[in-house]
Amino acid sequence: MEVRILSAKFDVKNSNQLKTALKHGAYENLDKLFAMQPAEVIEEVKKSGLRGRGGAGFPAGVKWGFLPKDTGKPVYLTVNSDESEPATFKDRYILVKDPHMLIEGIIICSYAIGSNDTYIYIRGEYTTQVKVLQEAIDEAYKAGYLGEKVAGHDYRVDVTVHRGAGAYVCGEETALLESIEGKKGQPRSKPPFPAVAGLYGCPTIINNVQSIASLPFIMKEGADAYKAYGTEKSPGTHLFGISGHVEKPGMYELPLGLPLLEVIDKVAGGVWKGRKLKGVIPGGSSTPVLLPEEAATTTLDYESMAEHKTMFGSGGIVVLDETVNIVELVQNLINFYHHESCGQCTPCREGLGWMKKITQKILKGEGSMADVDLLRELCDNIEMKTVCVLSAACTMPVRSYLDKFRHEFEAYVTENEPSVAEATEE
Amino acid sequence: MADKIKLFVNGEEVEVEAGKNLIDAVGAVGIEIPHLCYHPALGADGNCRMCLVGIEDGRPPLVPACKTPAQEGMKVLLDAEHIKKIQHDVMEFELINHPIDCPVCDQAGECKLQDYYMSCDQKPSRMTVPQVTKNKKMDFGGGVIHDQERCVVCGRCVRFLRQITKTGELGIINRTDDARVNIFPGRPIDNRYGINVVDLCPVGAMTSSDFRFKQRVWFLKKASGVCHGCSKGCSITIDHNKEKNKDDIIYRFRPRFNGQVNGYFICDEGRLSYKSENENRLTAAFIGKVEREISDVLTAAKKELEMSKKAVFLISPDASLEQMVAVKALAAKLGATLSGYSDGYIKKGDGDDYLIQDDKAANRQGLLLLGIDTTKESFEKAVSEADLFVNFASDLSRSYEQDALTKLLTGKKTIVCATHESAFNGQATITIPVRSYSEYSGSVINCDNILQRFEKAVTKNNELLDICEVAAEFGCPLQTPAEAYAELQQVIGMLKEYQPATIPAEGLNLNDSEAANVTA
Repeated sequence: MEVRILSAKFDVKNSNQLKTALKHGAYENLDKLFAMQPAEVIEEVKKSGLRGRGGAGFPAGVKWGFLPKDTGKPVYLTVNSDESEPATFKDRYILVKDPHMLIEGIIICSYAIGSNDTYIYIRGEYTTQVKVLQEAIDEAYKAGYLGEKVAGHDYRVDVTVHRGAGAYVCGEETALLESIEGKKGQPRSKPPFPAVAGLYGCPTIINNVQSIASLPFIMKEGADAYKAYGTEKSPGTHLFGISGHVEKPGMYELPLGLPLLEVIDKVAGGVWKGRKLKGVIPGGSSTPVLLPEEAATTTLDYESMAEHKTMFGSGGIVVLDETVNIVELVQNLINFYHHESCGQCTPCREGLGWMKKITQKILKGEGSMADVDLLRELCDNIEMKTVCVLSAACTMPVRSYLDKFRHEFEAYVTENEPSVAEATEE
Repeated sequence: MADKIKLFVNGEEVEVEAGKNLIDAVGAVGIEIPHLCYHPALGADGNCRMCLVGIEDGRPPLVPACKTPAQEGMKVLLDAEHIKKIQHDVMEFELINHPIDCPVCDQAGECKLQDYYMSCDQKPSRMTVPQVTKNKKMDFGGGVIHDQERCVVCGRCVRFLRQITKTGELGIINRTDDARVNIFPGRPIDNRYGINVVDLCPVGAMTSSDFRFKQRVWFLKKASGVCHGCSKGCSITIDHNKEKNKDDIIYRFRPRFNGQVNGYFICDEGRLSYKSENENRLTAAFIGKVEREISDVLTAAKKELEMSKKAVFLISPDASLEQMVAVKALAAKLGATLSGYSDGYIKKGDGDDYLIQDDKAANRQGLLLLGIDTTKESFEKAVSEADLFVNFASDLSRSYEQDALTKLLTGKKTIVCATHESAFNGQATITIPVRSYSEYSGSVINCDNILQRFEKAVTKNNELLDICEVAAEFGCPLQTPAEAYAELQQVIGMLKEYQPATIPAEGLNLNDSEAANVTA
């Protein structure tokens, strides 16, 4: 089932070094690229159907088309390497194993959208990754693949690496821009969208690492070769991070559209210890959970996920076995999103803390049925009332757990009154 | 004026000004969209989420009204159940960690949380888990006390200090429900406009150390005044109250919006200048150093005027236009020299490029417009030739050291009409207490040539005479306020179209009128 497009060089020793990368075809596409018109490049990417790999799945070529023409302002490319969604671990492999693929992708994208300056916003905790990436960038500069004349062509591309400081919300594209600008990482109200007024008020394209890293293959082999993988509406391959209760957790590159359970069984070795499956988180912690019977009909693509009222997300699949305590899981989830709320919008700022405390109360056996109902209602009251979707990233999965595993919450509530026997034991 | 556009609110067509956001546009025609973080002087931030409204044209289901420009034909949905529910929900979120300590909160009575609870919420609390606790009674400096628990983190105070004063003393630290407003360690609020954050705060998080706990705001009577702290003449609201068995006193000045003078704000010095209206006031009349009935003192003063061969009148640059024309008419009738000398009111270099002016006189433009001489040379020459000096409330201690003044006035009879106690009063032959600017109505012209009218706010138990009344007693041809105003209309052509009560609240810009340039 596995394919090797993005991960082609991942097993090659020292693949992060320019010498090795060149041997395996890095920067081969640049002559072809600069022989094309930028519009042709965009057209090719549109044709490939490449969708943004950050989670939302917006077609990359279409996004590029939103850039206003001739504003007299510079166009910035920003690469989102903030990869902070719990259960997501795909971009980190690209950053460490094949940074030159990313740099080549940056050159392709820059030329297509008319940008000369790229900022790579990298998660603060990625200390090794930032080191390896910066070394690769330095090597690329030295070899003339970055700088005033990219590979001898009359086009400038400069790349700056900007490290985050540990805020999940800075993966939200406008909070990311605020952070690069040196401000507190808080999402901006949209409109205006970054394509119109982004970094320093200039037109800006923000793409995920994996989206950009997919470009060299599309350039080299063409859109049709890319579309040969995946489904019609979700073409190509994706780096899936499979974790949780499986025998062989890890990062696997797979074409889109494969059956979810088959992937769990055949690629990740199935639910561990011979246990039963309780649920699957399909694309990072913020995606609504799937019950085993739902997972059975789900395929790994954007459409199937939407049909099952969840999201493809970041490709971070978490497998839950029968031993998982859903209320504790929800507590853990809310703790995370509460902690990461930027504190800007009232519903998210105050509401997530409230949800956290209600869940604590339920877990302690002090909750009532009304608390479970309130927790469920708060999901609706908070969601989509805020500037960004961080609050929804919490309420969407929490709602799914409450709806699909309500009995587990109620079990805590019915155990509310300690029995006489328990009381006398103490 | 501005272009008009038509749009629909809850299906009803309204005509509003173009180029504004929805809150301001429909707010101007009396439809309130609840909001906490938006303030017209600070722009839209969009964090409180109270102003979410629906637009029925295929946009996202909800948009913040503060960030949405009013557009022709727009269909705004305000009274739909789902919009009302959002307002209720946001109020619930605002209140879950709020201490609800209204009985001891200074903001009670002018608090947006209270108002919106009544209009949008009115439900009992569902908060059954421990509240977030934060710091209380924090001294932020500059006369501002902060309560982090009452704060709704709207950031108005932070934005004011960043955008308006550009001093940036406040910031929001931490994230999530631990987000709170704070100063940087050891760097308190230190600018001349800091107390405006108290007015800006929609809740009781920012209180004024000067005002707090002095009055419940619903007892305060409000009057439209003009600050006499400098020649900017900022529009203010005078909040005063006469408690049972006590005198009418002022508790605070607050800025009153005036687009062509001060906008939404005033300086701290002006704000606190209300104290001098309450304190150190001259309330008794004297002949020499002996306190006498005001009628006796006036009789004595009139006798002095009759006996005088050559008198000099000095009028305060703080006096109203009405007082100035009255004293001018009196001087003309009695053949006295009239001066407006008041160089001491000008504190060179004290002003800034925002509101505060070097000139601390409220109505110097009035003196100039009425052609009253203000030079030191003419004043001192006139005094040296005169046998009687009559001071209409000008504070000479600003211009002269005591010794110099004593020397100047040696051998002259002096009649002093004064608002405040002063060492100079004691030297006078006759001393008459007069009202200060919060106790009479009148008009002044500010440094930008804008004429503003202000109301009489305070009525003291012991009502003093106004300078106009003193002048009338002395035989001024303008015996009534109406006559004084009619005289003013002769001088300032623009006033012909207005009666005192019809002068617009934002004042009249005399630069717009040629007549303003014609001196009498």
